[in-house]
Amino acid sequence: MTDADHKIKSLKDKGGRIIGCFPLYPPLELFHSMGLTPVVLWGLRDFVKTSATADRHLQSYACSVARHLVEFVLSDQGRFLDGLFMYNACDTLRNLPEILNCGLGDNGRALPIFKTHIPMTPPKQTSAAGYLNARILALIMELEETYGVVFSPARFRHSVALYREARSLCKELEILVAKGSLSYGRFSQINHAGYFSTVEDHIKLLKKVLNEDSLSHTKTSPSAVPVIISGILPPPPGLIVALEDAGFRVAANDIASERRSYDYAPDTADNPCSYYADFYFNHFPCPTLLYSADKRIAMIKKLAADSGARGFVFIGEKFCEDEYFEIPHLERILKETGVAILPLEISIEDDANNKAYVTRLEAFHEMLRG
Amino acid sequence: MPEQRKDDKPKEQKEKTGHQKTEAGKRLSKIMINDYMRLHQKATEGAFVVWIAIVVPAEIFSGFENVVYAVPESHAAMSAGKGVGPLQCEKAEGNGFSPDLCSYARIDLGTAFDGGKDSPTFGLPKPHLLVSDNNNCTLLVKWFDVYHREWGTPHFILDVPFCYEQQKERDLDYILLQYRDLIATIEKMSGQKFDASRFREAVQNTGESLAHWKRFLKAAKHRPSGITVFDSFVQMAPFLTSRGAKELVDHYRLLADETEENVARGIFPVPNEKYRLLWDNIAPWHQLNKMSSRLASLDANIIAASYTYCMGSLEGEFDLYAYDGGDPLTYLARTQNFSVCPHGLELRYQSMQRAIAEVGIDGVVFASNRSCKVYSLMQMDMLERVNRELNIPAVMIDVDHADVRKYTEEGVFARIEALLELIDAKNNHALS
Repeated sequence: MTDADHKIKSLKDKGGRIIGCFPLYPPLELFHSMGLTPVVLWGLRDFVKTSATADRHLQSYACSVARHLVEFVLSDQGRFLDGLFMYNACDTLRNLPEILNCGLGDNGRALPIFKTHIPMTPPKQTSAAGYLNARILALIMELEETYGVVFSPARFRHSVALYREARSLCKELEILVAKGSLSYGRFSQINHAGYFSTVEDHIKLLKKVLNEDSLSHTKTSPSAVPVIISGILPPPPGLIVALEDAGFRVAANDIASERRSYDYAPDTADNPCSYYADFYFNHFPCPTLLYSADKRIAMIKKLAADSGARGFVFIGEKFCEDEYFEIPHLERILKETGVAILPLEISIEDDANNKAYVTRLEAFHEMLRG
Repeated sequence: MPEQRKDDKPKEQKEKTGHQKTEAGKRLSKIMINDYMRLHQKATEGAFVVWIAIVVPAEIFSGFENVVYAVPESHAAMSAGKGVGPLQCEKAEGNGFSPDLCSYARIDLGTAFDGGKDSPTFGLPKPHLLVSDNNNCTLLVKWFDVYHREWGTPHFILDVPFCYEQQKERDLDYILLQYRDLIATIEKMSGQKFDASRFREAVQNTGESLAHWKRFLKAAKHRPSGITVFDSFVQMAPFLTSRGAKELVDHYRLLADETEENVARGIFPVPNEKYRLLWDNIAPWHQLNKMSSRLASLDANIIAASYTYCMGSLEGEFDLYAYDGGDPLTYLARTQNFSVCPHGLELRYQSMQRAIAEVGIDGVVFASNRSCKVYSLMQMDMLERVNRELNIPAVMIDVDHADVRKYTEEGVFARIEALLELIDAKNNHALS
């Protein structure tokens, strides 16, 4: 049994219904509060070894996140899911629900797929809170009808508190990476474990790691060059090793599955509608949250200034247009503030090709060391 | 309509087949030149300039006395058609934009950041306001954001929910709310007052134009077809640049009249039409003449396209959704999802099924378009369903709508010829 199989089995053994959420920022607290176990279907490289099934449904110019997701849901491993949830995170993901329906139908399977639309209007332009309220309430009703569960404000408050704690612990852990006490590779592994475990288990894991004695001292060389790492997902493990071996220290991250996900947690949890209005509209900026574009550049500059980063390593998810449109402008702005940028592109086949990046990382390191 | 006997064909038709310049085609060139000249002129004279995504309801701008609009996607398609697509793409790539980004965007960015150089229309006048929408694609929002950041131009995002089913009332209300905010934004920025009667007239014109458009497309029902899809591709252009104008009504009326007249006279683009095909995706703008002639030489005609029959219909439908004279803003909101990209697979399949039955299709060409993921990333399952459930042969070809560097003619025609063989095999099997 692989590690991935263990993770799935351990989740299933807990007995709850499991909702496979499409990336990037699903309403995890809501599912949890209704007795469902949300997992987020990204970072699935360890779970799917090929993309053969996905390739029957998606052209090769779909990103690896989408292809891995389709492969996973349609594979035997995907049989442990009791439902799927998606929102309009990007052009590719919004096309997937019916493609998955076709694939599931071919295998004689069916899954409830919950779809919602998160408003993408800038709040100063159009007040979309009313529309978001309607969509959140509709989602709650669909979940209640489908699974015979009932929404409870008290349980929602409890779930919000748990996710808030987990996010806060992730931030604490990130500080250790910035200080050089914890490798970025290990941090990413621990952070991502949360996407395939219950929030309670993730909190336990985060606390356990934070209490490790070994984290009280710095491990990376004092001469390590501080950089920000940015992208949708962290780079494949081999590339992280290459990055750290080349003499970089990840002083901050702007990764969608990491900082962009855990940076902001609303204070109030009086009701799910106001909670998610706050959650989405004040979210850490991300190119996929279209209304957050104006804030993004300022936030990256602040991140660079606060972390003392001298470089910005962009882990480009091949075919992710949302990310790529911003890069030329970001590069220019960062250069003006004295931060150099190294754009790398990761495609679905690149797990085993990290050596190709090593030379570029070494050259970048040399350049930054001056 | 009576079918023409082959030996009655007019002389000129025996010499050239495929997509040919008709009277409506000649008039189209004039309209496009006038539209772009008027745009530049009015902008120079101080009009408030808006750049819009292709499906932003431009009738709204007609409600203002001195607001003009430009459509970068349409300009990019024209640039590709005129052969300057790769040149402008390379300029954008030289500025750091990935070659994997949509070729419309790359052409537009290449043109805009080079001051309109090499553009068939001398580029577009600089905007005072950018209006994008995410129902066709979110990348459009990202694309317009580039200008928003570079030039500091305000950017209004129309957020339109995707349709897995027919549009819901809550979505319509949400769209209406945003239209009202857009009108208020323009009033505030331009200092002009929105005139509801001018706006209503524009919507009436659009409704009428689309009725003629549908009449024009109907000529595909005839055997042989009265049109090729290449005619309809190019004739879409004024719908984007003159939406809501009286000139558009007149043009589409004449286009439909001329087409019907040609059919009655026995003038057909592919007189020996043996294969009646349907195209699924945006037009390959750089290949219109070449592809049309080469298909005609094989007695094949692409007579319909999801890209063109969606105009004037609701999501999942094929027939005209007529404007009934009611609230014009509501009509626009209800038709906001008319283009294929914001439709789910079921809706796309539903309308394609109707098209196949209505115009009599023998085979479907699914053009897998690297520059348009939203259009393309459903096609593998669509193809499977068309094959299996409708027993219609279909193939997938690789194209890029505006970047000819990503297109190989021989590879595409090998697939199309295989499709024609499949159609032959099916027909022979039916006979035996």
